[in-house]
Formats: sequence, structure tokens, C-alpha cells
Amino acid sequence: MMKYLVAGALALALAASPAAAKTLVFCSEGSPEALNPQIVTTTTGMNAGRPMFNNLVEFVPGTTQIVPALAESWEISPDGTTYTFHLRRGVKFHANAVFTPTRDFNADDVLFSLMRQWKEDHPFHGTPGATFDYFRDLGMPDLIRAIEKVDDHTVRISLARAEAPFLANLAMPFNVMLSAEYGELLLRRGEPARLDADPVGTGPFALVGYQKDIAIRYRAFADHWNGRQKIDTLVFSITPNPAVRLAKLKAGECHIMAFPNPSDREAIAANPSLRLLQQEGLNIGYLAMNAARPPFDNVELRRAVNMAIDKRAIIEAVHQGTGTVAKNPIPPLLWSYNEAIEDYPYDPAQARRLIAEAGYPDGLDTDLWYMPVNRPYNPDGRRVAELVQADLARIGMRTRLVTEEWDQYRVKLQAGEPPLALYGWTGDNGDPDNFLNVLLGCAAARPGGNNVAKWCLPEYDALVTRAKATSDRSERETLYRQAQEIFKREAPWVPLAHSIVFMATRKEVKGFGIDPLGRHVFEGVDLDGEASR
Amino acid sequence: MRIRDKIMLVGGIPIAIAAGIAVAAWLLLSEAERARSGAVLAGAIYRDLLVAMTIRDDYVSANPAERDPHTERFREQAASAQVQLASLGPLARTQAQRREVASLQDTLARYVARMDEYIAVTTVNDRLIAEMSLRAARLVNLADEARARQHASNADIITTLTEKDQQLRRLRDIVDRAYQLRATLWGLQTALQHSDGHDHGFAVAQMRHAASGLAEALGAGRGGAALELGNLARAAAAAGPAETGTVAERLLAWCDRLLKIEVTAQRALQEEVAQLLTYSVEANETEQATQNVAVSTLKLGQETHEALTRRDADVAERKLARSGELANIAAALPISPLIQTDMIDAITEWRERLGTTIEGIRKQNAMIADMDRTASAMVAKARSLNDLFTGDADWLGAFIGHVLVIGATIGLLFGSMAAFAAARSITMPLRRLQGSMLALAADPLAGRIAESDRRDELGDMARAANVFVTEISRRERDLRHAKERTDETLAELRQTQADLIQAEKLASLGQLVAGVAHEINTPLGIALTTATLLGDEAQEFERALDGNQLARSRLAHFLDRMKEGSRLLFDNLGRASDLVHSFKQVAVDQVSDEPRRFEMKGWLEDVIRSLGPLLRKTRHAVAIDCPARLQVATYPGALAQVLTNLVINAALHAYDEGESGRITIAVEEAPDQLRLTVRDDGKGIAPQHLGRIFDPFFTTARHRGSTGLGLHIVYNLVTNKLQGRIDVESRPGVGTAFRIEMPKQLAGEARAEALAAL
Repeated sequence: MMKYLVAGALALALAASPAAAKTLVFCSEGSPEALNPQIVTTTTGMNAGRPMFNNLVEFVPGTTQIVPALAESWEISPDGTTYTFHLRRGVKFHANAVFTPTRDFNADDVLFSLMRQWKEDHPFHGTPGATFDYFRDLGMPDLIRAIEKVDDHTVRISLARAEAPFLANLAMPFNVMLSAEYGELLLRRGEPARLDADPVGTGPFALVGYQKDIAIRYRAFADHWNGRQKIDTLVFSITPNPAVRLAKLKAGECHIMAFPNPSDREAIAANPSLRLLQQEGLNIGYLAMNAARPPFDNVELRRAVNMAIDKRAIIEAVHQGTGTVAKNPIPPLLWSYNEAIEDYPYDPAQARRLIAEAGYPDGLDTDLWYMPVNRPYNPDGRRVAELVQADLARIGMRTRLVTEEWDQYRVKLQAGEPPLALYGWTGDNGDPDNFLNVLLGCAAARPGGNNVAKWCLPEYDALVTRAKATSDRSERETLYRQAQEIFKREAPWVPLAHSIVFMATRKEVKGFGIDPLGRHVFEGVDLDGEASR
Repeated sequence: MRIRDKIMLVGGIPIAIAAGIAVAAWLLLSEAERARSGAVLAGAIYRDLLVAMTIRDDYVSANPAERDPHTERFREQAASAQVQLASLGPLARTQAQRREVASLQDTLARYVARMDEYIAVTTVNDRLIAEMSLRAARLVNLADEARARQHASNADIITTLTEKDQQLRRLRDIVDRAYQLRATLWGLQTALQHSDGHDHGFAVAQMRHAASGLAEALGAGRGGAALELGNLARAAAAAGPAETGTVAERLLAWCDRLLKIEVTAQRALQEEVAQLLTYSVEANETEQATQNVAVSTLKLGQETHEALTRRDADVAERKLARSGELANIAAALPISPLIQTDMIDAITEWRERLGTTIEGIRKQNAMIADMDRTASAMVAKARSLNDLFTGDADWLGAFIGHVLVIGATIGLLFGSMAAFAAARSITMPLRRLQGSMLALAADPLAGRIAESDRRDELGDMARAANVFVTEISRRERDLRHAKERTDETLAELRQTQADLIQAEKLASLGQLVAGVAHEINTPLGIALTTATLLGDEAQEFERALDGNQLARSRLAHFLDRMKEGSRLLFDNLGRASDLVHSFKQVAVDQVSDEPRRFEMKGWLEDVIRSLGPLLRKTRHAVAIDCPARLQVATYPGALAQVLTNLVINAALHAYDEGESGRITIAVEEAPDQLRLTVRDDGKGIAPQHLGRIFDPFFTTARHRGSTGLGLHIVYNLVTNKLQGRIDVESRPGVGTAFRIEMPKQLAGEARAEALAAL
């Protein structure tokens, strides 16, 4: 007995040595709405979950090129409806305080992860707070016909119809692979919510702890199938204010910061210990108008709003010139962008007339919602809101500025609460469908869907649905161009800006790149020289 | 029974008894010895165990750094106790003792095993405690690092705040002036509505003034906006009343736009400043809290360390609970993420180690209690063991005493009785025998002894005595016969000696005669020759005379020759006559052997002369050193013989072939005595021969024909006839000296006769 005690003590002593660990701190812009990417839609949430998980297939960071990840190889049937995946062997799951995996990743985990989002009778489908919006917004529940386990390392997914972006969708954060064994254990313990609150995945980092609005802490997973990270500890230090983030970055309290103020970019570039990263974002910042109920169910009113807003002032003031005025719901980088469309002119007088014709001669009062955190498509939600407020005030629309905690903000927007809301989107897979369908399709117009404007036009929906079904790019392009024209006509949004995305890092950070899809990829990042400073 | 057997019996019984007692005593003593050494050993073991227990206490209460010496000592002590116990085993005599020894060995082994376990646990614990201190210290370091960073950050924030403040000021300026411009525009519009011209100009002037003020506020940073403003203002000023309205509208719109932007910018900037300030303050508070956490942890660590050193597990548990709180605080605080993970890890590890250590301490305490129980059992056993052995030894001692006393008593009694009986059976016949022997001693012919019929030693003695007596008589007879024969032999021997001496004398006399003859021959020969020559001369002269050739010179020549011739004849014949005289005297002396008075010096010369021929054969020189007018009265013959022998001895034996030596005869006169020393410088006599030279027939030159009687005769003559003493001194390689001391006058009748002879 004594010997075991001694041996145990020695093992402890050896295991947790007091050597300084390499810690990488990322000053993030806000708290994620959840840690499990299955149930988030914001890039904040996706970035918070990304270190812990892998998908069947993944994008090469910085691109939209698909490469094998947990699936080593796959075959697609000629009609595009059957995908057979061959799973990688020797992939290990994390362990945590209650769970120690007894087996490697296999087909059971694939089924568990996908079925959970799909099947309503899945034990984890009805977990409170879990709404799988992305899965539904992409129409996956109807698209998938069957998911079969062929053997321990082979899974076959049969679709109801061919879907060109299906593989790209599988690479999206909401399709991460969870541990079926962990799920069983939690069910036995009667703690199903822990699946999302205390997630277990196969990713390069394992969760240590999450304190809302303070920090998310991860530790490098030594048994990751792609090798152990050089960084020992990863911390997301949640700092909503960009000036504070910059102060921390300069002090060395964090190594990477999200979305510095565009006004600080020169100072950052001039600072010898910092590095400025910038890239044109595949994004759109917009003002959504709730088209499902008055007053903005009136298309004339919506057009009036479009004409009232001085977009150039926003670009000048908030984006400090690092952005472009948006006229379409997809950014100019994306294929099928319809540059022929002409934007509504900035004409407050005309807007005034339109608003009176719409039945509001004395103007109207309404709420304007803005996000409390920086977004890649919107460096300062409040200021944009104030500018918009001033513009609208000129045409007699008196707005009250409203905001919510970021995780709640999204929920409220997706629920369709605000009449006017500032929002935006960064493309998640480089496909126009990700904008035109996910944000404006009828499937997403349901409460909880990503169609914040709650605008459902069957004419438009048919176009984007057809475009999804075919893999013929030129056909899709035609359809999407038409869709954009309809969008212009119906004006459910005021498209505001496409921005250049900035990130700033300290000089000693190596291997971190800015990503057009807004992903913060920490896999493969290393710190030069002094370890945990 | 023979006496020998009786004696053996008498002697043997006590001896046997004594031996028996001795063996018994020896066995018992060795047992007792065993028992006693067992007792001593048991005592030593008892003490060793006590010492071991004390050492264990020392170990338990010692500082971690000082534990090792106690470990060493404990091991030594335990090992020595075990060794002693092992050697006690064989010393155990009873079953009870053996059982007790085995039992104590087991208990000791258990105790030692427990102690080893305890040492193992303590070692681990000590190390854990040391590590905990390291961890706690680490926290303070981390907090210090964070504070340093915070200070740097604060300095930077201050700079940033200052900049932003300046920006705010500028913005405020712009906004204020924009509002002023707006006011003037409003005034301008009002003036337009009045349509009387003079207000218009004033309003325009106001507007222009405000515009330039705004342009100034915009400054270099917003050059584009200032330019636009300038254009618009000029347009507004230059416009006629008709267009002024429109231009004013445009300027107003522009102004509103500017205000929109700058006001929102101002708010955003204020927000930033507020956030930065909040952040700075919060950061300071956090840093303070971090410091507090670190200090609390350190303090907690110290208190825990004290508790651990005291092995107070309960207090340590409370500290563990408190540290859990600290860990939660550390996790909850917005500490710099850079150190938060490390801090939480450090605290967690510290807590884990503490948990393990507390368990270890509980173990330790349990072990100590167990060891104490074992120890008391051990001590009790050791004491009982000690008692067992001591009791055993005591009992053995008493037993030996009894055995000795009883045995000795029996032996004494039995032995005395047997001795008495045996003695009687011996002494009575012995006394009878004694009587018989005495009688026989008085009269050897008294007859046989009665006891000779006995079969024991006395009988043997009696028979032997008989035999003695017979034997004695016979031997007496034989002895007498032998004596008579011996007397006869002795007489024969003396005769032979006298004959030999006589022969020697005759021999030397013969030698003397030969020598004399030779001596005389020489002068006589010369005389004869000379006479012949003279005869011849005379004849010649006669012839000359006859021939009448006689010259005076011839006559002179003839006379010279005659003179020379007659001288020669006289000398030589005289010499011959002297010689004869000397020899005669010597010979007479030798032969007659009568004492007479004579003058020493001349006599000596005579004697030496007589030896001349002999001496001339050698190259030796004889010197005489004698005072003149020394008269002696003694046997000259004997003395001459003595001297002769000595000189000849020296000449013949003292030198090697061809050597020439010096022989000195020195005479010294004393009142009554005469000392005569014959000395030579030859090779001397070897010391081992010196004692024997006067022995008859002793010679070292028998191969040369020496008889060995010379010095014997000398000795006899000196001591008997001359009534003197002779002494020899010799040093090999130097020389020999014979010293004779004799009276100048012979004693008694010799004197009278000597006088008469004169």
C-alpha cells in the first residue's frame, strides 16, 4: 500500500512539473454564445470552438480548399447523392474531469454528431439552448436521406438530392465531430447539457475552463492525431473594447488581438513590436429591416431607408476608408457578384417623400439595434448606429438605440425581435449560397434562423434553392445574379459595407495568418523566443 | 595388591571425584556463563532497543534536512540489536527463552520494517513539502511579472489617453465651431426670408467668420473637409440672394454631415477613453488582487508548512480547504491570462501535493502510533527476556554452589578413608623393611632380609637389597685386585719416565760432545795448518841458510812469519783449551749433578759458547744480559740443561727456515731470588698450546723429530731440582719469553754443600 502511495506521489511530481508553459493569449472581441460549434452561428462562437474540434473534411487555413481531416478519403457517387467516407484511424478524443475515452474515433462518433442535429429523437437533440440553426438554415434536415455506419471506419451519407456545397458544408464549424462515448457517459450521469458546456473533441486543444466575459482557457492536447501543438496553453482573453485590446497587445498581455480600430492601424504598423495583418474580408455589414411585420413589411419604407443612409459617411468615419460601400448582399470578391446592379442613391429628400407616401407623414418611431462588440464587417456598431440614427432622423424616422449582450443579440435577431438591426456576415465556405441562401432564404426566415430580416420571398427562394441543387457553376451564377436583382428590388436590407479585416499580433508570434472567412486558426501557431511573455 | 596400585587407588579416588566435580562444575559453569552472557546480551539488547526508539523519536521530530544521520544511526542500532539477538538465540537454554527470543526477533523485524516504511513516506513528504514551497514562491514571481507588465502598460495607457484627450479637444473644437456655423447659416436663411438686403450681408459675414473658424479647427488633419468648406462658404458668400438659399442649404447639409460624423466620433472616443480608464483601474485592482492571491498563497504555504512539520493533519486539511478557496478566487479573477493559467496550475499542483502530503501525514501518524505499540511490545519482551536469562543464570549459580559443596564433601570423606586404609597397608611393611636394611648396612653379611618374600615393591626392594649385599662383597674383592695392578703400573710408568729423562740427558750430552768436538776441531785445524806452514817455512829457511842465500830481509821475513805463526797457534790452541774447559765444566755438571756455587755471568757465557756450534748452524744471535759478580748456589747441571733446552727450543722452533732471530738471556737479581728470562723474537707460541707446552711428549714439531720432552724436563728441573718456578709468555708474531724464578741459594743442605765445594 505504501509503495503505491509513494509511486503515486512520484508520478504526480513528475507529471505536473513546474516548468513554465508556453502560453498564447488571444484578445478576442466577445464571449461566444456557446462552446460547441454545432449550436453557434457567429464567427466569435465558431472561433471559440474551433481549437477543440475537427471535421470530416476541413478548409486549408486562408483558403476555401477542402482537404481530408477525420475522413482520410471519400467517394461521391456519380449522381452526387451518396458520399462514402473512410475514417482516419488512431484519432484520440480529449479526456476531462469526468470522462476518459476508452476507444479511438470511429463511425459511431460520426453518426452521433450528425444524428444529434438531424434526428429529433436523438437524446441530445432537445438539449436546452441547442437549436442547430446552421444545420437547419442549410436545409440539412431535408437534404440528408440517410446516414449509415458501414463499418467502424466507413460512413455512408445518402442525400435526397445532389448538393454542390455539401462537402464544403461538412467542413463548416457546425459539423464538428463529437464523442459518442462521452455522450453516453453524460446520459448515464444525467448531465446532457455538459456535452455543450464542457465539450470533448479531437482537436489540437482541450478545454480547461470558460468564464463568460473573462476568458476561455485551453491546453494543448498531447495525443492530437496531427501532432502536439508547440503552444502549451491557449487563452482567449475576452476584451470587447478595441482600444483596451490594443493596450493589452502593446503591454504583452496578449499576443494576438482581433479587429483593432481602423484608426489605430497606422500606429500598429509603425510599432516595432507589433505586426498588422489585413485582408479584404469575404463579408457584408448590413442594416436588416424586419420584413415580416410592420412597419418594415412595407417595401416603400424599406426603399426609403435605403436612400436615407449616407453609406459613404459610414465608410469614412467608422471604417476610416478601409472598406467599400456595399450594394449587394455578397461581397465583390465572391463569384456571381452582380456588379451591374445600381445602388439606391443617397437622397434624403426623396426618402422623405417616400416615407410620407408610405403612410408616415409625420415620420415614425422605432428601435435600432446595434451589436455591442466589434465585428470584422463593423468596427464600431454603436457609431454606425448613431450615424444611421442621424440619417434616419433627417427623414423623420426617430430611432432608439438598443443593444444586448452579444450572445443574446444574435438570439434576439434570429428570433426576429428587432425592427431594425445592424448585423453582418462573414462567408463560412466561400460559396454564394452561404450568403444568398443562409441569410435570405425562406428556410432561414423561421424564428431562430439566420435570416434576420425574416424575409421570405418564394420567387427568390426558388432561385437560390435551384442554385444549390446543381453543381454547374455558370448555371448557379446566373441564378444568383437574378437573385441579387430581386434582392435589390425588395430591399430587405440596407447593405452598408464590405470591410478590410484587420488583425494585430506581436512580432514574436509565428504561423498566424489572417483568413478571409474570418477564422482564427491557432493550430500551428508558435511563439518566438521568450516563452510565456 | 601392589603398592603402586594402592597408591593409584588412593590418589585416584579423590582425583576422580575431584575431576568429576570439576567436570560437573565446568559444565555447570559454562552453562552459567552462557546464561549470564545471555543475560548481559539481553540487557544490552534492551538498552539498544531503547536507544533505537529514542533515535526514532529524534528522526520524527527532526528537520527534513537533518533526518539522514538519524536514519543511519537507527539502522546501525537496529542491525546491532538484531545481530545481538541472533547471537542470543544459541545462548538460550530453555524452551521459554528460545520462544521469547524468536518472538522478540519478529517484533524487532516488524518495528524495523515499519520504520523503513515510515522513512519512505517521510522522504516523499519532505520532498512534497519542499516542492510546495517552490510552487508558492512561484506564484509571487508570477504576480511580480504581471505587475511589471502592468506598470509598463499603464505608462503606455497614459500616453494613449493623453493622445485621445487631445483628439477629443480637437473634436470638441470642431463640433463647437460647426454648431456656430450652423447657427450663422440659420441666421443667413432667416435673413434671406426677410428679403431686405442689409441683414444679408451681415449674416454672410457671420457665416464666413464661422466658416473660417471651423476651417481653422479642422486644421491640417482634415484638409479635404476644410477645402470643401472653403469652397462652399465662398460659394455661399458670392451667391446672389436667389442662389444663396440653395447654397446655404448645401452648406447646411454639409455641416450636418460633418456634425454627424464628428459628434459620433467624439462619443466613440469618449467611450474609448472611459474604457481605457476603466481597464487601467481594473487592471490595477486585478494586479492588486493577484498580488493578494500570491501573498495569501505564500502565507498559507508557510502556515501549512508549519502544520506539516508538526504533522498536524487536521490543521493542514483546513489549509487545504482554504487553498481551494484561493484557487477559486484565482480562477475567477480577471488575472492576466499569461499568468492565470500558471497561477491556477501552481495552486492546483500545490493543493494536490498538499492532499497527498496530508494523506502521507495521516499515514505517518498512524505509523508512529503503530510503531509505538510495537515498540512497547518490544520493550516488554526485551525486559522479560532479560529477566528470563538473569533468573536462569542465578539459578545455575546456586546449583553449582550446591553441587560443589556436596561433591567436595563426599569426595573428601571417601578419599580420606581410602587414603588411610592404603597408607596403613604400606607403612607397616615399609618400617619392617627399613629395620632389615639398617641391619644389613651395619653388617652386610648379616643375611637375607625377611621381606623378600613379599610380592609387592617392598618385596622387590628386599630382594634387590640381598642382591646388593652379595654384589658389594664381590666388588670389594675385585677393587682390591685392580688397585694392586694399578700400583704396579704406576711404578712402571715412573721408571719409564726416569729412563726417558736419562736418555734425554744422554742425548743432549751426546749432542754436547758432538758440538764440542766440532768446536774444538776448528781452532785445532787452524793450529795444525799453521804448524805445518811454520814447518814449511823453517825448512825453507834452512834451505836458504844452507844455501848461504840468507839476506837480512829474508831473515826478517822469516821472523815475521814465525811471529804470526806462533800467534795463530797460541790463539787457536788457547781457544781450544777454553772450549775444553767450558765443556768439561758443563759436562761434569751435567753428569755429576751436584750443587755448587758459581759466578753467573761467566758461567752463562760458557754455556752459550758450548752451544756455539749448534747456534752457528742457524743465523740466530744469542745475547746475555747479566749483572756481573752475581753469585749463585744451585745445580749448574740442571740449570745448564734448562738453558740449553730453552735456547735450542727457541732456535729450532721459534723461527722459520732462514730467519735470523735474537735470543736474549736476561738475568735479574732480587734479594733471595733470581730471575732468568730467556726471550726470543720469533713467531711465538699459539695461545691454545701455551697451557700444554710443559706437558710431556707435547710438541708441534714431531715431524721434525722433536720428542716433546724438552720443556717437560725443563719444567721438572726448575720446579724440583732448582726449587723454582717457570712461566711462559708468548705473543704470536712477536716472540716468546720463558721466565724462571729460583732462589739464589738452594734451601737446606745444598747451601752447606755448596760452601764446601768452594
